Amino acid sequence: MSDTTSATTDTAPRETASRKTGPRATGRGLLHGTAWVVYRRHRTALLACVLITAAACAVYAYQRIGVLDFVHAKGATPDSKGELLEEFQSTFHAMFTRDIALLQYVPVLIGVFLGAPLIAAEQERGTLRLVTTQSVSRGRWLATTLALPLAVTAVCVTALSVTFQWLWTPVHQLEDFGDWLSSGPFDVTGPVPVARTLFLTACGIALGMLLKRVVPAMAATFVLWFVTGELWSRLRPRLGTPHSVTYPYNGDGPHLPPASVRFDDWVATADGRLYGFGTCVHADEAACRAKLGIVNRVTQYFDFGQMAGMQWRGAGILLALTAVVLAFVVWQARRRPL
Amino acid sequence: MADPSARTGPWAIEADGLSKKYRRGWALRDCSFRLPAGRICALVGPNGAGKSTFLGITTRLLRPTAGTVKLFGVPVSDPAVLERVAFLAQDKPLYPRFTVAETLRLGRELNPRWDQAVAERIVRSGDVPLGARIGTLSGGQRTRVAFALAFGKRPALLLLDEPMSDLDPLARHELSGLLMAEAAEHGTTVLMSSHMLAEMEEMCDYLLVLAEGRLRMAGATDVLVPSHTLVTGKAVGGAVPEELQGRHTIVESHVTGRQFSALIRTDGPLSDSWDAGWEALSPSLEEVLLAYLRSPGAPTLIADEARTTDQQETAA
Repeated sequence: MSDTTSATTDTAPRETASRKTGPRATGRGLLHGTAWVVYRRHRTALLACVLITAAACAVYAYQRIGVLDFVHAKGATPDSKGELLEEFQSTFHAMFTRDIALLQYVPVLIGVFLGAPLIAAEQERGTLRLVTTQSVSRGRWLATTLALPLAVTAVCVTALSVTFQWLWTPVHQLEDFGDWLSSGPFDVTGPVPVARTLFLTACGIALGMLLKRVVPAMAATFVLWFVTGELWSRLRPRLGTPHSVTYPYNGDGPHLPPASVRFDDWVATADGRLYGFGTCVHADEAACRAKLGIVNRVTQYFDFGQMAGMQWRGAGILLALTAVVLAFVVWQARRRPL
Repeated sequence: MADPSARTGPWAIEADGLSKKYRRGWALRDCSFRLPAGRICALVGPNGAGKSTFLGITTRLLRPTAGTVKLFGVPVSDPAVLERVAFLAQDKPLYPRFTVAETLRLGRELNPRWDQAVAERIVRSGDVPLGARIGTLSGGQRTRVAFALAFGKRPALLLLDEPMSDLDPLARHELSGLLMAEAAEHGTTVLMSSHMLAEMEEMCDYLLVLAEGRLRMAGATDVLVPSHTLVTGKAVGGAVPEELQGRHTIVESHVTGRQFSALIRTDGPLSDSWDAGWEALSPSLEEVLLAYLRSPGAPTLIADEARTTDQQETAA
């Protein structure tokens, strides 16, 4: 056993000796090695991320004071006449719209300004040749280059998401009449904004790597944001199975639980056969309905309890795609040069 | 048998059948040579000859299509070679927003053998302020910082791709002096590509000539140059005399009226030169290089020392 070690560790003494002579101990601060280089390289963008996040969280905390004052004074459950809803809308709707709009733009801002130039700028300026001809391996450099900005992004967006959720949850039944699905809260609370940001940033990194130029990569990431945004809004209602409520055709209803999102309306026969909402709305309505046997209306909806599950399902899909894109980036980076 | 590094030690670069093919064709074809450690070697060739491709392969930026390169006995496919090699690309890429001090810190963070004192000395001797951003420096100052980064790594082999091409004559002179002094002090092997033949002649004692992706000449300058002679004399029948053609290798020849001039590789003494009315001169390095670069058909010349043969390998 002893002679095998002496044979295999032939070069080891020289290696360690040379390591010790390097004045490594003079380094200051928390970050060392590739992490310091990547941090220094993206210092402006990363600090901007952190500061904007802190400022936005402070604003949400301040806004929450006003929102809670309203809730304490008037309650958070909408009354049957909808007066409270109207009052809340006129007082806070503009504020929430602004907050949500800001959060909606977070993925594209980070994807375009941090993701797209991450590797493209190194390729365009030739500094990739600088960092990859130092002593650290290309794989380690790539791992840090990807991990550090993505980790900072994930932390910042999580903070934004959690803080906004903290602001919105007390009044989720009131804000925009309780519509959490399509008006924004679904996309800017819980894991969804984090997953969307990481996905778009990873796509920006991959596009930058393939295009090798900063501006085209940023433009491509911007276009991708539109495309994925459109696909995402189509995917959203498919993430859960809607509940149904049936009520008489000419009767009163539908009676949906609070903060439910009405998804679709149908007309139905007594045995539950569904027809489109526009069936028999022309002349001779009664005869037409009698012929088909339509006696009921059906409303499909998502209740508030489904929101978290749908969000995690959507975020899971996005994070899986993110992992695929990052794996592609690593594979591509290792495939070409040594 | 005892220590593998002892056998491969004296060779800084050993290339064997090195080839690189791009979509447009071969950039480098079947290059085999070796460079002894401690030399200052010029890599010469016209544009597109494969110089940058060769440097790219030795710095792991490109993967060869075929063949191998070993640096100090370590194949370039092993990431461990990175520690022993420093590379200065033609455009000297540096992060423009880093200060000079931060650029040196980059070197320190990424290189275990980093020597801060050497790097700082190089920067300070050029009066480059440590707090200045790279983007605000002049071309000469930037090159100096890039040199500091390269020498601070304490490489055994320094590869330079046209290091002086974008500098004014003053900065070029200053940095050539710096390069020679630092290389001499640390015993660094230097391989640099350049178009400036006159400058190469002053600095380099070893030569690699590439043309159209093939190695045309390799060896120490004090072996290569003296083996050539510049002959002028009376043309015989509008051509170089038969006697010369038969006994020596003609690299390049011109016939103007009744006169000829030829650069020949002498394979033996130039006999009867007085009787034949020839005049023999010793060419300069530049004249030899130009002759080889102008005549792609001339036979390749690889000095014995630069030759990699299996016999030499196994015998040693």
